[in-house]
Amino acid sequence: MATTETGTAATTLTSQASLALLKDVARAMFPHPSFPDAPYEHAVGTIVAAAEADLRVRAQLEQGLRDVDVVGGAPFADLDDAARLDVLRSIEGTAFFEHVRTRLVTGLYDQAPVWDLLGYQGPCPDGNGYLERGFDDLDWLPDPQIEDPAREEIVR
Amino acid sequence: MSATEIRGRFDTASFDEDDSDVVVIVGSGPGGGTLAHELCERGIRCVVLEAGPHLTAEDYVQDEWEAFNQMAWLDPRTTSGSFRLAKDFPNLPAWTVKAVGGTATHWAGATPRFKAHEFKTASTYGEVDGASLLDWPISLEDLEPYYDRAEEKMGVTHKGGRPPLPANNNFKVMGNGAAELGYRHIATGPYATNSVPFDGRPATVQDGFNFQGDKQESKWSPLVSELPKAALTGNLDLRASSHVCQITHDARGRADGVLYVDEDGALHRQKARAVCVAGNAIETARLLLLSDSPLFPDGLANSSGQVGRNYMRHLTASVYGSFDKEVHMYRGETMAGVVADESRHDTDRGFAGGYYMQLISLGVPFMAAFVDPGGWGPDFTRIMDDYASTAGMWLVGEDMPQSTNRVTLDGGMTDAHGLPVPHVHFDDHQNDLAMREHAWTQGTKVYEAVGAKNVKRTPPYPSTHNIGTCRMSARPEDGVVNEWGQAHDVPNLFVSDGSQFTTGAAANPTLTIVALGIRQAEHIASEIGRGAL
Repeated sequence: MATTETGTAATTLTSQASLALLKDVARAMFPHPSFPDAPYEHAVGTIVAAAEADLRVRAQLEQGLRDVDVVGGAPFADLDDAARLDVLRSIEGTAFFEHVRTRLVTGLYDQAPVWDLLGYQGPCPDGNGYLERGFDDLDWLPDPQIEDPAREEIVR
Repeated sequence: MSATEIRGRFDTASFDEDDSDVVVIVGSGPGGGTLAHELCERGIRCVVLEAGPHLTAEDYVQDEWEAFNQMAWLDPRTTSGSFRLAKDFPNLPAWTVKAVGGTATHWAGATPRFKAHEFKTASTYGEVDGASLLDWPISLEDLEPYYDRAEEKMGVTHKGGRPPLPANNNFKVMGNGAAELGYRHIATGPYATNSVPFDGRPATVQDGFNFQGDKQESKWSPLVSELPKAALTGNLDLRASSHVCQITHDARGRADGVLYVDEDGALHRQKARAVCVAGNAIETARLLLLSDSPLFPDGLANSSGQVGRNYMRHLTASVYGSFDKEVHMYRGETMAGVVADESRHDTDRGFAGGYYMQLISLGVPFMAAFVDPGGWGPDFTRIMDDYASTAGMWLVGEDMPQSTNRVTLDGGMTDAHGLPVPHVHFDDHQNDLAMREHAWTQGTKVYEAVGAKNVKRTPPYPSTHNIGTCRMSARPEDGVVNEWGQAHDVPNLFVSDGSQFTTGAAANPTLTIVALGIRQAEHIASEIGRGAL
């Protein structure tokens, strides 16, 4: 399909308005009050970039975003958090919703800044693991047994 | 890490494709890798054909999705049935590895043995509606000497004088909760990752990455143990990126070689004196079905009609508990902790068979993907917000074999080679559902006993334990192979992976696959010695 720089079909999804709306949808779908916008914007950018190469997905996303702006009775951006959730609940299971949800659940949480926000340290840079970095630093419980003295009672 | 310390990087001999004296082994995982090593040590030359690439420690990446895309078997598959995976992950019913060393390059390392009654479930459990239970043709006593040898090979902790692994944070939570609840059989193993240096490999540095391959090589796998040792004998020819598409046979119906496709798409024929299939339960059954012919119209070694049937995947479920204080479950060995009290057979609980509670941890990317498949909204993000103060346990137990749970060839979809993809049909048995409910409830109590504020019941992940599709049976009409893993219909065809399990037991399968591999190698060597193969 031929597209042009100025044609509506070629630019709607990548417009600032579309990206902002999809970011709002992403925030409503995976609401983390402690997160800045950047990880959402990154995840949304990946979704939109991938859609560029897939006409069907692009069409679904474009129509989906138009629908999101009407099913709540007002533009999505004007709704409060509860009303945004209601909009998403009303379209759960649609191809648009599932496409966005499945991409976000991988894309949003596969970012180092998000790991930091959630307290996941990922790999140790020098290959030395957590042996000297707190693999056993939990101190709010006593040390449990690490060998079962009654093992012979259960093992066979 | 200097290059010379990477045990997984090795070269092998090269044998002729027309050399009909070799044993061909399809798959280089715990079954195929162990068998190859044991045969090579006995002077028997082996060609191991591995569908995946030869990845080594330096290739592995400590990043969950990147590693998944590097290692996992991602060839398309289709699913049906009532099991939740058909909805959650319809094209990913199983999470296995496509690389040299097989699925044992991403296993965690838990190595319980089967119990005596788990070899005799038809006799012990009696009639269970809808279940195709069958006694194994061997007993625990038959396998015990091989368990001993497998544990030595693998450097299993708590055995052979090897010390236990220390308690990591995740274990401190589960261990204390279990003790509060009155459980007694609590330990950090047995576990096949080095607690102290063993077999030329280092002790674990507790880096927390297992499902991504072990960069440090402290965990046993065929990649760092069986295969390089086999290579040293000069009797191993390992061919990576070689996808077997058919087992061929002669006019008498004996296997005489395989057809395989190399990484450039070129077709090869390797002759063989015997063929041993260890492709993991889905691919092993698929290969036998793909090897149908006028002599074997329903697939090779399938006169019983049992090839592909009785597919089992273990109970599996998880419980994640969140607390007021931090846990950081991802630090340290992923599965180094077990509570074995519920592994007994006790029908007072409302089901046959038993289950283990074992540690599990996921990083943030996989936690998001697997903790609540399909989840979104505030209920979902609350779980993620609690990540650093969350502890995890995996529930692994015996599932009932059912004749209708089976691997077949998909009529509509083909893979990159044009071969029909496998279709996996699975319905949960009532016994599986009752056990899972019990396990979720007990797991919840474990965490609540040490103050959990929220507990999440997580459904099964794509199956890592895939077993039973070519089961062992005393009578040819009941299964595909005999007590040696030798096909009832084709005497020089063997099944050498978890496909041969008659029933699944509660235990993680790798140790038993290795023990059976050692035992099978002795039998094959003996048969070759007396001129029967």
